[in-house]
Amino acid sequence: MADVPVLRVDDIHKRYGDNEVLKGISLTLERGATKVLIGPSGSGKSTLLRCINHLNKPDRGTIELDGQRITDANIDRMRAQIGFVFQDFNLFSHLTVLDNVRICQLKVKRLSHEEATRRAHEELERVGLGDKAGAYPAELSGGQQQRVSIARALAMDPMLMLFDEPTSALDPELTGEVVKVMQQLADDGMTMLVVSHEMGFARQAADEIIFMEGGYIIEQGPPDVLFSTPAQERTRAFLNVIAEHG
Amino acid sequence: MDIYDVLLRDFPFLLKGLGVALVLLAALLALGFVIGLTICLIQLYGPRTRFVQWPLKVYERIFRGVPIIIMLFIFYYGLAGIFDISSFAAAILALGFRSGAYQSQIFRSAFQSIPAGQMTAARASGMTLTQAIRWILFPQAIRHAIGPWTNEFSSEIKETSLAYVIGVVELTRQAHYIITSTQGNVLTVFAVVALLYFIVNKAGNSGLYWLEARLAVPGFEKRQ
Repeated sequence: MADVPVLRVDDIHKRYGDNEVLKGISLTLERGATKVLIGPSGSGKSTLLRCINHLNKPDRGTIELDGQRITDANIDRMRAQIGFVFQDFNLFSHLTVLDNVRICQLKVKRLSHEEATRRAHEELERVGLGDKAGAYPAELSGGQQQRVSIARALAMDPMLMLFDEPTSALDPELTGEVVKVMQQLADDGMTMLVVSHEMGFARQAADEIIFMEGGYIIEQGPPDVLFSTPAQERTRAFLNVIAEHG
Repeated sequence: MDIYDVLLRDFPFLLKGLGVALVLLAALLALGFVIGLTICLIQLYGPRTRFVQWPLKVYERIFRGVPIIIMLFIFYYGLAGIFDISSFAAAILALGFRSGAYQSQIFRSAFQSIPAGQMTAARASGMTLTQAIRWILFPQAIRHAIGPWTNEFSSEIKETSLAYVIGVVELTRQAHYIITSTQGNVLTVFAVVALLYFIVNKAGNSGLYWLEARLAVPGFEKRQ
């Protein structure tokens, strides 16, 4: 069983009206691997992430989590095993930080109150917010909210974490604390697929960079190779733009 | 016997009328709550087919578009021909169905004011649609809804007096009995009745404001 990838995406197509956003995407993610998706906006990165847990349902193709195909019938069970971190955090505004991290453990995994509380405190410590358990989302900075949302996802013991531009909505001085948490997660062996323009993170944490454009994967490879000697002209052009503006 | 003695003597009747009005109010608001919440949830999260959505729209338009006094007559004289219902039951149905149409709008805008991402996040964590509504959206929607719902409460306590026209012996009708039996004193009697309506209205509003403040969490403070 050792060679079953945590995630296998096979020939995913997604279209909105006349606009085909994903034109046949395939990739795999081995246990413990971190892959970072980069590419110009509109290239389909976020759509791909949302197709993986059927937040947007793919028109064609299959997604397998740990060898099991994701279908309409098992979607809720599968989602519970996939942590998703959103660009704009999406914390539950009426719940304290502690309850944000607890609620899905209680209602979806049906853990006991004690167990859920223990796990919640563990994950809040891990993201450095052990002292914020009683606060409400509106009382936190963007960076803190994003770390809570990471803790919320981790508390479900996911086998895969998806990050959809987790630092894009943050002020530059707040991205560091979130990137640090993600870096730590990658080092701890979490399996992660990350859409991000944080090139520092991509360089250090990623096992592989995937460059997407126009609904296709153009090129993929280890960060040192892809960043220094990209094989494709389009990859080079994109990296140049990033280098100039980032 | 002057009017004050009469008022004193007949005050228990006014209180009894007030009691009827309050039961009518509670019943119509409860019926309206169930109908309103159901309509709102189907409109927002139910099947999008016209077969489901169109009748709800028609219901809402009709009950918001027809004068309540006509509805009371239709429910009492119209339905009484088919079912054996009391004027009190007819009043609950007519007022409750209409309140449902208004409450559906209150709840709809309350649910819509919750950022859509929270539903997405709940579903992404494996919650079913029902769980996400129950645990994530509903507790927030209720907080958003209390303010506008207070208005609905205030209108409906006043509207209960219209049940008078189909013969429900509520506060206004009791007042009318006193006026008829003493021949006159309209101003005094109705002033007392007005005061009673006002007190209930004020008490209800205060209770709802208290509830709103009690449920407020950072990010939900409404009233300064």
